[in-house]
Amino acid sequence: MVDKELLVKTAKKIVSREDVKYVVGYKQGTYGFVISPSFAYTPEDVDNFIYNPLCKKNLTVYPILEEKLPLRREEEEDKRKIGIVVKGCDSRALVQIIQEKGLTREDLVIIGIPCKGVIDLKKIEKRFPNQTEAVNVVETDNAEYILNISGAVQHIPKEELLSEVCKSCEYPNPTIYDFLIGEKIEVGEVPEYSGLKNLDETPLEDRWAYWEKHFQNCIRCYACREACPLCYCKTCMADMLEPQWIRRSVNLSENTAWNIMRAFHLAGRCISCGECESVCPVNIPLMELNKKLEKDVKEMFKYNAGLDTKEKTLFGTFNTEEPEEFIM
Amino acid sequence: MENLVIQTEKLSEWVNEVIKKNKVFAPVKETDFSNFKIIDDYSEIDFTYLLPRVPAKKILFKQTETLFLFTPGSKGSVQTKEISDEKLVVFSLRTCDAKTFSILDPVFLGDYADPFYKSRRERSILIGLSCNKPNVNCFCTSFGDSPASSDYVDILLTDLDGKHLVEVVTERGKKFIDNYKKFFTSASKEDLDSKKKVEEQAIKGITRTMKLEGIPEKLDKMFEHPIWYENAMKCIGCGTCTFVCPTCHCFDMQDESTLREGARVRVWDYCMNPEYTHHASGHNPRPARMNRVRNRIFHKFNYYPINDNIVGCTGCGRCIDYCSVNIDVIDIINKIGEAES
Repeated sequence: MVDKELLVKTAKKIVSREDVKYVVGYKQGTYGFVISPSFAYTPEDVDNFIYNPLCKKNLTVYPILEEKLPLRREEEEDKRKIGIVVKGCDSRALVQIIQEKGLTREDLVIIGIPCKGVIDLKKIEKRFPNQTEAVNVVETDNAEYILNISGAVQHIPKEELLSEVCKSCEYPNPTIYDFLIGEKIEVGEVPEYSGLKNLDETPLEDRWAYWEKHFQNCIRCYACREACPLCYCKTCMADMLEPQWIRRSVNLSENTAWNIMRAFHLAGRCISCGECESVCPVNIPLMELNKKLEKDVKEMFKYNAGLDTKEKTLFGTFNTEEPEEFIM
Repeated sequence: MENLVIQTEKLSEWVNEVIKKNKVFAPVKETDFSNFKIIDDYSEIDFTYLLPRVPAKKILFKQTETLFLFTPGSKGSVQTKEISDEKLVVFSLRTCDAKTFSILDPVFLGDYADPFYKSRRERSILIGLSCNKPNVNCFCTSFGDSPASSDYVDILLTDLDGKHLVEVVTERGKKFIDNYKKFFTSASKEDLDSKKKVEEQAIKGITRTMKLEGIPEKLDKMFEHPIWYENAMKCIGCGTCTFVCPTCHCFDMQDESTLREGARVRVWDYCMNPEYTHHASGHNPRPARMNRVRNRIFHKFNYYPINDNIVGCTGCGRCIDYCSVNIDVIDIINKIGEAES
């Protein structure tokens, strides 16, 4: 269990610094199991910070998302740092962004949390529907979640509520941080991601039918793009009009183009936080695409994204040993 | 107008009879949710989910609408798009989705009637289904509506365990139901009483309340309130809330063409996208997320009630359900109610 007092104490210390603009963490949401991002500008604001297995949201989307409006005359840019609470996967997003020069290390004060996996909101809401009152969830040492729902204490095996991506997580510990809350977690044997059969094993026709079924539901809200810390292009190819790579018409063909291009643009960059999939309002299993690309990148280039800020990006390197059978 | 009863086992026969002469839209199970789709058989209908993921607005106001076709170039020409005269039936509409159309009518049938919406509106029959078990974020009662309201439909069905009460509400509904007389019998007083019980039970299931009193006027004085910054900080700027909203109706128009053929299409647009208000000059009157988050709330709870005398929200709760950063419209409006303006 994460020491909340230490988290709050650390965040208060950071937010009190003159070179820090705000700290972004988690707070209780407005109903049920929902957690809200929380922006603390003063030490008092930090009092509502929490951390529990429901804190799935990858907050590293925020430093780049912050809009910089044109400065008024004689106004100076606010270059103060942003404090941010990260789990293992989230920290890898920061490393990747720093490698790509989207942010610099000096822009950030990072509070790292070793993560034992987070709960899939869709799973827990299905299990306990119509939950209006806020519910706290505690993880025990023997792979159980304890929930207190309307006075009744429930013990749920962790496996049943855990997010699918967390089951194959190789990096539960933050790969970059200034402060670490809690002890690092030992990583044992990690099972392979279970969702790859829809891209690797099934016959071509079945595979196509599976993805067609999902892509035709896509409403092109671009929640997958906006929630992804690594989708931060100033102009997304999906928004371009000249040339228009993807038409605005929402149909199977254009939806497929969008979803496949999105996945390819994250090859060697995706850090498996699963944010795209969990925000998708029509439940497209986007992590299956991302994981397939992650696996291919790993096998072909022996590359894992987001581990070391000194390392170069996959597409920023080249060596003659690399496989080239796919080049015509 | 008229209260009838249909035995639940006859429901499939009736709907299948309706399918023969009408295009019937009903909730169909997708991967693990349901969505409105055209059905060929009653068995396709999914009654397990309360609300289809994408609201019924998509049936009358399509996400992608081809307005006309054209051939580009100096010898180009324009071909108008024929509007079909097929009869439409929307089956299993909940109050919040049915109310959509009373809110969209001032937009699409106002000063300039949109021929596509108008035509579909005129040739569609709305068949409602009372909710018996509302979701966590349902709040239609906050607008004075009820989960078993017959106000916005032509015909309302209510599941009375073994049979369905059929309330024929409009003249159009009456004409429609008269074609299928053999499936129905008259409703008794007990049936109407049972419906009341179902309705009371459903209303009890609604736990969240939006306090709307004085909100439109109060908002006038709260344009610069910090609440907009608070919510805008966490907004990631995706289109989920607007696309799953039964009343959001903004659109964009685009020419999509190849060298030989083209089409002008109208697609749903979303005001959370900076591009939405981006002028050709480069200027953007809503440059920051704060401006956009505020606009969405103002449009529904200030501009709409003031201009068209109806709140632009039906209380379906979808924008709360699917927002990944907990931007909660009930919470925002209630906080505005409590705040000092």
